[in-house]
Amino acid sequence: MNKKHSQFVAFLIFKLLGIIVVLILFSILGFIIINGVRVINWEFLSKFPGEGMTTGGIFPAIVGTLYLTIGSLLFAFPLGVMSALYTQEYAGKGWIVKTIRMMTNNLASVPSIVFGLFGMSLFVNKLNFGDSLLAGSLTLGLLALPVIIRTTEEALKAVPDTYRAASLALGATKLQTISKVVLPAAMPNIITGLILSIGRVSGETAPILFTVAAYFLPHLPSGVFDQAMALPYHLYVLATSGTDIEASRPMAYGTALVLILIVLTMNLLATFIRRKLEKKRSK
Amino acid sequence: MKNQILFALALCGIAFNVNAQKIKGSETVLPISEKAAQVFMKTNSDNKVTVTGGGSGVGLAALIEGTTDIAQASRKIKFSEKQKLQESGKTVKEVTIALDALAVIINPSNKVTKLTKEQLEGIFTGKITNWKEVGGEDLKIIPYSRETSSGTYEFFKEHVLSNKNYMSGIMSMPANGSIIQSVSQTKGAIAYVGLAYLNSSVQAVSVSFNKGKTYTAPSVENTKNKTYPVVRPLFYYYLAQSENKVKKYIDFILSPAGQKIVEEVGYINIK
Amino acid sequence: MQKKKIIRRILDKTTEYLLTFSGAITGIAIVFITIFLFTEGAALFKSPEVEQGYELYVHAQNPINTLSPAETKKIFDSEITNWKDIGGKDGEIKIFRIDDAFSVYPEDELGENYALLPQKLGELIAQDENILAFLPKQYAPIGSSVKALVSHNIQPSDYFLGKEWMPTATPVPFFGVMPLVLGTLLVSIVALIIALPLGLGVAIYLSELASEKQRRLLKPVIELLAGIPSVVYGFFGLVVLVPAIQKSLHLPVGETAFTGSLLLAIMALPTIISVAEDALRNTPRAMREASLAMGATQWQTIYRVVVPYAKSGISAAVVLGIGRAIGETMAVMMVTGNAAVMPHSIFQSVRTIPATIAAELGEAPAGGPHYQALFLLGCILFVFTMIISISAEIISKKKNYKPH
Repeated sequence: MNKKHSQFVAFLIFKLLGIIVVLILFSILGFIIINGVRVINWEFLSKFPGEGMTTGGIFPAIVGTLYLTIGSLLFAFPLGVMSALYTQEYAGKGWIVKTIRMMTNNLASVPSIVFGLFGMSLFVNKLNFGDSLLAGSLTLGLLALPVIIRTTEEALKAVPDTYRAASLALGATKLQTISKVVLPAAMPNIITGLILSIGRVSGETAPILFTVAAYFLPHLPSGVFDQAMALPYHLYVLATSGTDIEASRPMAYGTALVLILIVLTMNLLATFIRRKLEKKRSK
Repeated sequence: MKNQILFALALCGIAFNVNAQKIKGSETVLPISEKAAQVFMKTNSDNKVTVTGGGSGVGLAALIEGTTDIAQASRKIKFSEKQKLQESGKTVKEVTIALDALAVIINPSNKVTKLTKEQLEGIFTGKITNWKEVGGEDLKIIPYSRETSSGTYEFFKEHVLSNKNYMSGIMSMPANGSIIQSVSQTKGAIAYVGLAYLNSSVQAVSVSFNKGKTYTAPSVENTKNKTYPVVRPLFYYYLAQSENKVKKYIDFILSPAGQKIVEEVGYINIK
Repeated sequence: MQKKKIIRRILDKTTEYLLTFSGAITGIAIVFITIFLFTEGAALFKSPEVEQGYELYVHAQNPINTLSPAETKKIFDSEITNWKDIGGKDGEIKIFRIDDAFSVYPEDELGENYALLPQKLGELIAQDENILAFLPKQYAPIGSSVKALVSHNIQPSDYFLGKEWMPTATPVPFFGVMPLVLGTLLVSIVALIIALPLGLGVAIYLSELASEKQRRLLKPVIELLAGIPSVVYGFFGLVVLVPAIQKSLHLPVGETAFTGSLLLAIMALPTIISVAEDALRNTPRAMREASLAMGATQWQTIYRVVVPYAKSGISAAVVLGIGRAIGETMAVMMVTGNAAVMPHSIFQSVRTIPATIAAELGEAPAGGPHYQALFLLGCILFVFTMIISISAEIISKKKNYKPH
């Protein structure tokens, strides 16, 4: 076989591989979308579930996921951004910073179920929060923390040092430099990180399994010590529990689609912002 | 600052929480609690009921930890669990809310229709591995079980396996719904579920607890006339200390309206 | 003017402290999580083999002083029924549990709070030389003819090398993690074997063959797919993959390690493609051109120049992919059947570490051996992922030292 032939065969294989993989990935998405679209209507989005999860909607699960996402980022976003500011702008290059960075990198790769394990024993049992929005948000927040720290650090690194030097040379204090020069320049990237972590947090199941998730609530949570339903857990429940699994299947497809839509919208938004930013910078 | 916000939030949480009842535990009891919570809330809108599954063990563990108000269970509280509650100075109260006939289910294509207690014990402890040994076709038996947190798992072990351990490496399903699905898809499957979960996609076998003299099918009638051998009560457990908090709801589930829900869901009322 | 300056300086300092403080909090939180996991887990080795709060008792005349966990299990499963099988006198073993006491004595004979129970139990044991009683320590039988069997603590070797995971078995729970560790590794490695060639192929296609337009459309879309929550993949696996695999491969069950691997491979693909593609595209243009100029075909350039150059980036993709697979919980739990058995085939049900934690954490009483055993599982996962993330870091750093 000569060179040309082997190249032809190899390229054909790669093309086929590319097509197959893309097809597989899209067929999954398509499968959920086709089955889910039939179920989604206003009633599905705005009603409580009923009759053993076979009728009604998923309203409390949507609200629960919303609360959990907000709650977790309320805690993780400020802490994450401030920690990143500290390690990037204030701390030197000592071993403490190095250790923190290594630890955050590690934490970012720790499986989510380990956060669940930790959250349940510390927040739910030891601190006696019980199964609650508070415990769930803190657990999810810990999960999002390393992601936020990392993206913020990257964002701060991307701000050229000349900006800082120029500002300081003009007589601005370090605080002024950071708040008026560095942060505004880094903001779009930081926001991208925030949006990405919203996507991640809203889709996680394992950390909320033992910290907040409820099978059924006939009301909305009204305080931080209430349990809540959440979309990912609700999908899990619809897929595995329920007295009539066939009858609750359409509800499961609908829930899966809503969940995917939320996550994908968040990721798309992040990509969109990043793209805009890249264009702006290259100008 | 953040602490203050948290504190304030916590305060409103407590303020709103006065009439909240958390029910947690058995997947078998789940359909009753879900429906009862829905109906109960209609007439008692100031009472907030929260229902969570996980298994009887999960509910009772939460009761011990103090993170739930009512533990729903499909088995009796274990001696060790009672002991733990006693150690922390709590007394537990037990209410039977319904009866359930534990059904043994197989794939609809399976020709076997009846099994004795001894055969079931052999199958689930791994001594009997082929359907032809119990009068069926030459097909490997695939026993499905629930996770260890399940009350049904413990009840079945105690009453059908005479306290012997399940075979090692038995398939464990997190919930009853997935058991039904797996059994309906797998030809050689056998499993156990509560009466409310039975449907046409699986086949319930008649069982005999008197060495094959009589076989009885799981059904509401056979439970009521006491001919079905594997009948168990379904419980609510709560702490005597929090009786005031849960009393209204417990009274509701024991009332005719509550017991009607029990029947609608597919279990047997206690009257 | 002076005042303003002072205020400004105070503000400056406060901010610095505040930021230092939050940096410290983050650091402490991370260290705390690690220590917390390991201390909770290590406590397991201070727990006795017999179920917590219980002990085994025999008649004082019985020559047996201790029973191994395996022997105890066999006795209670009626596989050993005679004392002589384990070195005792000839006599059928009579098992006695606390619940049996309540059928012998009515509750009112036991006094308030079972105050008379220990004495009664002592009498019961005295009556029967062949008895093996499994009783709570709180009501330890009293009497001269009662002997408690010596119970050892759980050994690290029982845990790490044990082949049976039966955490709620009575009277002796088994916490052998071998089946779980091997199950986790099996599922992840097979997933990688499936995903790697596919992912690499797609990455090569995207970076070398696809037109710029195709690449700019496909890459973000594939990256988007990486964000789909695992429970959605699990649901898809449950509804589509499990029955499909069972039917197409004529297996007795559809919930197998292979099903889990296939699903994990699909989940890991976007990550692998994206990272590997980045690595391939980072190959300097000059190197490609040099190769092409020397008469090599495009294909030769790819597999002789581009792929070797991007090796460390590709390895990083592999490591990241395996990291995601090892920790995956929901999807795997929904499709692998969760049978805690030593895996000897990929067409068999397995139980992974994350699925075990997710399935059992809720019921394990806080502070008990089962709870601690689950924490140790968490530690094992933690160590696995730490090794993985550190090696990923080392691999990607190596690249920087290359002289090119």
